[in-house]
Amino acid sequence: MLEGWPVIAPHAILALCGGLIFCLGAFWQRRPSGLLWWLALAASLAAGLAALGGPVSATYQGMLDVGLYGRLFTALIALVCLLALLLLKRYAALRGFAGEELYGLMLLAGLGMALTAGAAHWLIFFLGLELLSICLYILLAMRKGSSESTEAGLKYFILGAVASALVVFGIALIYAAGGSMLIAPSLAAASGTGHGALTLLGLGLVLTGLAFKLSLAPLHVWTPDVYQGAPAPITAFLAAGSKAAVMAVLVRLCALMPGNLWTYWVLALWGLAALTMLATNLSALREERVKRLLAYSSAAQMGYLLMALVGARYGGLVSALFFLCAYALMDLGVFGLVTVLSPHDGDLNRLDELRGLSRRHPWLAACLALCLLSLAGMPPTGGFVGKLFLFTSVLKAGYPVLALLGALAAAMAFYYYFKLVAVMYMGEPSGEPAPSGPKPAAGAAEALALAVIAVALLWLGVFPAWLHGLAGAAVATLGG
Amino acid sequence: MFAVPLLSLLIFLPLGGGLLALACGARVRAARGTALVVSLVELGLTSGLLALAGSPQAGQGAWLLSESRAWLPALGIQYALGLDGVSLLLVLLTALLQVLCVLVSWRQIDERPGLYYLLLLLMQTGVNGLFLAQDLFLFYLFWELQLIPMFFLVGMWGHERRVFASFKLVLFTLAGSLMLLLGILGLYAAHGAQSGTYTFSLAALAAAPPAANIQGWLMAAMLIGFAVKVPLVPLHTWLPEAHTQAPTAGSVLLAGVLLKTGAYAIFRVALPVLPSAAALAAPVLVGLALAGVFYAAWIARAQRDLKRLVAYSSITHLGLVVLGLAAWNLMSVSGAVLQMINHGLSTSALFILAGLLQQRLDSRSLEDMGGLWTAMPRFSAFFLFFAMASLGLPGLNNFVGELLVLLGTYRAYPAAAVAGFVGLAVGVMYVLKMVQATIFGPAQPGPPPPDLNGREALILGVLAVAVLFIGLHPGPVLELIEGPVKALMSPGQQVALAIFQP
Repeated sequence: MLEGWPVIAPHAILALCGGLIFCLGAFWQRRPSGLLWWLALAASLAAGLAALGGPVSATYQGMLDVGLYGRLFTALIALVCLLALLLLKRYAALRGFAGEELYGLMLLAGLGMALTAGAAHWLIFFLGLELLSICLYILLAMRKGSSESTEAGLKYFILGAVASALVVFGIALIYAAGGSMLIAPSLAAASGTGHGALTLLGLGLVLTGLAFKLSLAPLHVWTPDVYQGAPAPITAFLAAGSKAAVMAVLVRLCALMPGNLWTYWVLALWGLAALTMLATNLSALREERVKRLLAYSSAAQMGYLLMALVGARYGGLVSALFFLCAYALMDLGVFGLVTVLSPHDGDLNRLDELRGLSRRHPWLAACLALCLLSLAGMPPTGGFVGKLFLFTSVLKAGYPVLALLGALAAAMAFYYYFKLVAVMYMGEPSGEPAPSGPKPAAGAAEALALAVIAVALLWLGVFPAWLHGLAGAAVATLGG
Repeated sequence: MFAVPLLSLLIFLPLGGGLLALACGARVRAARGTALVVSLVELGLTSGLLALAGSPQAGQGAWLLSESRAWLPALGIQYALGLDGVSLLLVLLTALLQVLCVLVSWRQIDERPGLYYLLLLLMQTGVNGLFLAQDLFLFYLFWELQLIPMFFLVGMWGHERRVFASFKLVLFTLAGSLMLLLGILGLYAAHGAQSGTYTFSLAALAAAPPAANIQGWLMAAMLIGFAVKVPLVPLHTWLPEAHTQAPTAGSVLLAGVLLKTGAYAIFRVALPVLPSAAALAAPVLVGLALAGVFYAAWIARAQRDLKRLVAYSSITHLGLVVLGLAAWNLMSVSGAVLQMINHGLSTSALFILAGLLQQRLDSRSLEDMGGLWTAMPRFSAFFLFFAMASLGLPGLNNFVGELLVLLGTYRAYPAAAVAGFVGLAVGVMYVLKMVQATIFGPAQPGPPPPDLNGREALILGVLAVAVLFIGLHPGPVLELIEGPVKALMSPGQQVALAIFQP
């Protein structure tokens, strides 16, 4: 029954350690939150290593992709968990919500992401999506007593529930048409006769649900509110982890899409990409609050990513995977810095609070500037190379108009990314010190996380070949 | 041929030095000392490469040095560098100006010196990489890289409206470079679809240009990117702001080097890889170039701000460079390349002079100047000298370049050449006005400002020697230029470009 279990070791580690943390927290008189944090950290590290080094197999029981593609994403998600935990430690302790719920839910959310990303079966996909969403509903509302945080959780919950309903109905339609709950056969069935339209309808509903999770326009309007209200390190976790997991599904669907559906599918992707890039960037132009600005920016990045999916048949999936890895690092970086720079009674909010940061905290400012420049697509960062790959795929596929719209959107984005950089480096520090709380500083854990992110971003920018090769090999296992 | 990757060293030595300077942090002396040593070493290294120019293959326009390594083989991207006479001259100019920039900043910059020198040197890394890149992907990487330091230099160490100016600079140039990116990637995709091999190699792309109907679009996209940088009217409006607000070293590098990257890219990338579109684009370029010559010269006349005046004069000069490139014959293109170097020398000198004056008078306004000849004879002599060079006085550098450009253009577009001559005459007006308003006329009341010190005289002296050398003995420099220009117009391309020939 447990045959071949080592291939799902990463998932098992996350599940078991998540459960263990809940138990330890419940049975201990005084919550050993420090110990629990270490346990969670060790679990995500172990899960990542297990994903990288574990035995190779194509799928587990035909349900879960544990081939190179699934493992790559599991490792990425473990890394996101690890970095988010590093960013979270001091933040949560200072604000009094560190504990077993927090760390246990982080691991379970990670498990949900890994299941979603690796799902080869519609049911696993749905289970993963629900697990990650339910954990995130709670995590977003983790700051008890903060109405903003509660609002964020509630908003994500209500919209997320609708999205889940759409997804599950879509899955039902796809099953009805294709007669299989396995993703690949169910799609392949549509390439034959008759049931293409029903499958297409189902896929449309699934895509709508995914579009909500990825904050693609016009379903992105929740993003700024939720990102704003959530505790900053949770925002980082949400922005990097859940987007990566859901994008993994979208990439898989693109790889498996039969030719007769592809015509319609690519049209939908084209429209979503164009709309997302323009709408989010336009909104970001007017935004003066840091977290909301970054929320729009992270939604916009998804729009660029979608461009690559439009060019899926021309190496776009590899480009998308590469960019997704870079994106996860960049967003962890920017929200990680918001974490570090936040005063104790709230989160960094107004643009003004960054004024003159480069004098007060040169290293933090440099790190934030690096992440922002990477988001803007400046060399020598992973964001630069990633964006180049995206544009290459879309042009190779022969969609110059979409590329032009993307360039237009990116040009708008330069304005707000450079605005943030300019405030840090060119704004005179205001006379009075930061509005409230003691001087922000990075603890060892946060500093480590930020250093890892910064080095990784530069590394990807200068030596992109290895990750590109890895992504290529991973996509090849999808059989697209 | 060399065990040491000399070209990579040329590119990354400044970056290493910049990081060392950054490590010096707030210690001004250590930071600027490091920067000076590094830029001197770089200058020495570059001058040493001049020895290669004597080698037999130099005249043939072959690479004097080249390097190539796989970088992203899956996408046909190589880390490929090549040095020929033109890139050698431009790298040398950059190295020279860099040393002068460090010297100019000597007493000017005491705020966050480590970061300042890092950015200054980082720019050299970007620019050198751009001049040496033989792979379009790499070219674009360095193209973007050189912008970021300038954004910070203008925005952090500039004058009153520095943040605005740095924003305008960055938004214009980055929006332009996105169009360039689309052009480059479009070319890559079209070439790949046509030949089956996807590559960014400049030589491979030039050898098999895409179909003519695609070329037009690609050329339009690329030229928008390059035209912002040159800058061609009407994409020039960022330049006066950036120049005026930049610290002196920033203005010098901007005028001396960064504007050259746009013209260089037209010369090295746009025209060779898209020959049939180049034929279509040439009349447009000629028109825009002439519009720039006249328009900027006319606007320059009305300026009250010395740096702004010189900035507009830059647009005039670069208009002439583009005119020469668009005419695309050996004489005009050689003249245009020479003119890039010339403009780098004489305009940089004028910006340095304006900066020195601003330090002394705390003003850039022409109204606050006048009668400096008596108070600052050394300064005034240099000022007059470089103003005359900028004017194109025979015996000085610009004369040679302008003559070649206009004579070469005359063979392709006689009317345009005549218009260019007239444009130069308009240029005379603003130069004379500038000279009149600063060093002649009645002196301002108050104590006279101090004359140049030894360091400042040295900076200007070096530039003056270079200006005189090119003016009196342009042969060796032109030899360096003509080889590569001939190679670009090699028989294979001559056919496609025949439309340019009279």
